[in-house]
Amino acid sequence: MNTWRGVALAPVVLALALMCVATAAAQSDEGKKVVLTVGVTSNSFDTLNPLVGYTALDYDPWINQYDTVTHKAAKDFAVQPGLAESWEASNNGKTYTYKLRKDLKWSDGQPLTAKDVAFTINRARKEAWQNYDAYVHNLTARVIDDRTVEVTSSVPDPKLPSLGDTYILPEHIWGKLSPSKITKYAAEDGVGSGPWTLDEFKHGQYVRMKVNPNYWGGQRPIDEIVYRIFNNADAMVAALDKGEIDAAFNVPSEAFNRVSSTKGIVGIQGNQGGFDEIAINAGSGLKKPHPALLDRRVRVAIAHAIDKKTLLDRVYEGIGTVAYTISPSPDPAWIPEIPPAERFDFDLAKANKILDDAGYKDTNGDGVREMPGGGEPLEFTYYVRSDSEFAPPVAQFVSGWLKKIGIKIDQKFVSSDQLGPVIGKGDYDMFHWAWTPYVDPDQQLSYFQCNQIAKASDPTLYNNDANWCDPVYDKLYNEQKVELDKDKRVAIVHKMLKRFYDTAFYQVFVLSPDLEAYRTDRFKGWLRQPADVGPVIFSNSSPTYANLTPVASTSSGGGGTSTGAIVGVVVVALVALALALWFVRRRRTAEERE
Amino acid sequence: MNLRFVTRKVLAALATLAFVICFNFFLFRVVEGDPVANLFRGKNLTLEQRLELRKQFGLDGSQSEQFVRYLEQTVQLNFGRSYTTNRPVMSDIWERAWPTIALVGVSTLLSTVFGVMIGIVAAWRRRSKADYGWTGFTMATYAMPDFWLGMLLLVTFAVTLGWFPVGGITDTGSDATGLAKLVDQAHHMFLPALTLTLAYLGEYALVMRSSLLETMREDYLTLARAKGLRDVVVRNRHAVPNALLPVVTLIAINFGFVLSGAIAVEAIYSWPGLGLLTYDALRGPDLPMLQGLFLVFSAAVIFMNLVADLLYSYLDPRVRTE
Repeated sequence: MNTWRGVALAPVVLALALMCVATAAAQSDEGKKVVLTVGVTSNSFDTLNPLVGYTALDYDPWINQYDTVTHKAAKDFAVQPGLAESWEASNNGKTYTYKLRKDLKWSDGQPLTAKDVAFTINRARKEAWQNYDAYVHNLTARVIDDRTVEVTSSVPDPKLPSLGDTYILPEHIWGKLSPSKITKYAAEDGVGSGPWTLDEFKHGQYVRMKVNPNYWGGQRPIDEIVYRIFNNADAMVAALDKGEIDAAFNVPSEAFNRVSSTKGIVGIQGNQGGFDEIAINAGSGLKKPHPALLDRRVRVAIAHAIDKKTLLDRVYEGIGTVAYTISPSPDPAWIPEIPPAERFDFDLAKANKILDDAGYKDTNGDGVREMPGGGEPLEFTYYVRSDSEFAPPVAQFVSGWLKKIGIKIDQKFVSSDQLGPVIGKGDYDMFHWAWTPYVDPDQQLSYFQCNQIAKASDPTLYNNDANWCDPVYDKLYNEQKVELDKDKRVAIVHKMLKRFYDTAFYQVFVLSPDLEAYRTDRFKGWLRQPADVGPVIFSNSSPTYANLTPVASTSSGGGGTSTGAIVGVVVVALVALALALWFVRRRRTAEERE
Repeated sequence: MNLRFVTRKVLAALATLAFVICFNFFLFRVVEGDPVANLFRGKNLTLEQRLELRKQFGLDGSQSEQFVRYLEQTVQLNFGRSYTTNRPVMSDIWERAWPTIALVGVSTLLSTVFGVMIGIVAAWRRRSKADYGWTGFTMATYAMPDFWLGMLLLVTFAVTLGWFPVGGITDTGSDATGLAKLVDQAHHMFLPALTLTLAYLGEYALVMRSSLLETMREDYLTLARAKGLRDVVVRNRHAVPNALLPVVTLIAINFGFVLSGAIAVEAIYSWPGLGLLTYDALRGPDLPMLQGLFLVFSAAVIFMNLVADLLYSYLDPRVRTE
């Protein structure tokens, strides 16, 4: 008897049967909870510890769980009451006294007091917590009483009274952790003060948050928020189409236009100030670039040879806007307007003329110009990040245009990780990369100071990736840092950025938005931050969530499978069974055929 | 079984493992890069904080110092902490191993059983319609790129027909436990498992077919027939067991690759296994995670090869007496 085949068939039939039952049973498991499901793509969440997490998406779970003393308005990031209902300035604007709301409670029922606020600020400063330091670096907090906390800055700080992203942590939990343990803490205790707190974090799968009944603004109408991680962006879009998810972040650009025109789905280009630039080595670092690049006329000619509109339309599929300078903040107020007469607009004839006039001629007729007097040819090394969707095609276009003005480009492909040390060593002529700024412009502006250039002792430690050093810029930077009058500060920032623009070292060409899409049939109240141009989710402080309400008769999300599923699986199972039977039959008939 | 033979094989496996441990360290450092700068680009970090992070990540000191530190840790079975998840590498790997073992294990099992059966049918009835049909079918599935097949099944059965979820291992909103959870997982596993089963099927079928064809030319089969044995007995008692030898090796070696999973299929179905973990770690690069993963993968392959060697020598006495 052929027992081996019977044994082999058993697990197969068992597995198929299990799957069959599975599908049928999966249908009957619909709950009554109101669940908002947000789809995100891989590498989305690293850790939910707000001290050390570094992916851009971590912020939304933090914002939902850990409330801040002040909030940022959805419209324009203006400071608004958060845990604090009011505040008063004193000491020439260096001290603020915050009055907390009455009867604040953590989600575990413990009272939230001024002590928790002071604990967070003081420990963050002392231990220089990675994600807190920019806000609390100069701050000291003192408890006046349970509801009053006084915060003093050692220097004039234009960010105050906003305490920005200083997520207040429960001292009764975090206070027990030593400085070395606190950064390694998984932060999955689920105790917070925001509208939702963590329920479960399955690495690589989902983050699930549940409504906080103790939230000072009242319990929100969404019982659960689930961030579902997809490793296949097309599958995420399909899930949105099917209604398995309510919103999607980082919709692939090739699917964006189709999704946006689907009934019941709204697609938005959420601008957070993220920009792409082509940087030219300014030579103040460890190594000088090709000598021609130190001549402003050559750089201006290059700028005139880059057709931003074509790049936007052809490479970025028309998604985004043409840009001229660095945007140091998602708030457009900080971006200077470059008068049309001073822009380096696309004009190949003009670019050629500038180079001709400057004496860069093609003396040997090989199509590449040489240095004045017939020296080195204008051949530049351009680093292309191979892991970027946009960098390789941009490099192709730019190389083509530069060829037309007699400049030869030598493209070098590296990963982002490898490009870092190359820039630090100054071992490049040009590269294409991108930045996304914070709300306060200080951070983005700080990168281009002289002291942020890599030093020989450690060429990988730097922020100034243009290797550009300008003492006037540094002076203006230090002025804006302590200017408490916003209008004056804006004027200084505009001056700095205009100055940088004029050098043509950092050629910003496109503001690239986050592509998001959401369904309108289950929730209403989606808010863009900042108004009209920003994203709805994963915006700076994501006020959307607390504003969302279910459209009538909304029940649990997810699932999305129908009775068709049962039929389908039964069919598949029947086919498999038929296959198994066929084998058995073959065996029998084989015996008979002998 | 010969003790000397076993000892020799085990020692060889251990030596390979030691080589892999050393090799892994340098493999990911051949190309110069700076994970800290890359992971934290554009973050509110002062240069001092970055230095501190580099120290925390164990990236300070020369490469030889780092290597000694790595060896010390690895010997103590400490694989370090992931740069990205901020958790011990081994706990991440452990957590992600089960989905992979379940998915790839089930698929390997199904494809082995079906593949061997198809191979037997095709060989025994060679040049019949069944042979052409099955060989054609398995050749086709074998030649199809698994990511393409995966996308095709996903679009058809999950998106268009909506019978299956588009990805994940469980319904994210569900609190199901016990049998309901298992059922939910099986529902999610159906499409990825089907993809992999189809993708693996051809290899077994083709190897089994050619192996059996070769065996069928042997004199002892003619003898068996001459003894008057029925065709089915000749096939199952005399032909198949002898023809199975190369397939057994193939099965053992492929089970070694169960852990390293199926990166493309895991990515398409967002199946949270080790393949995906590798893919994500490569993008940091998350050095401790990569080292840990490659060590686990290599160890699995080495171990299964050892099993294959020992099994083969048990099944085929000629091997151990050589």
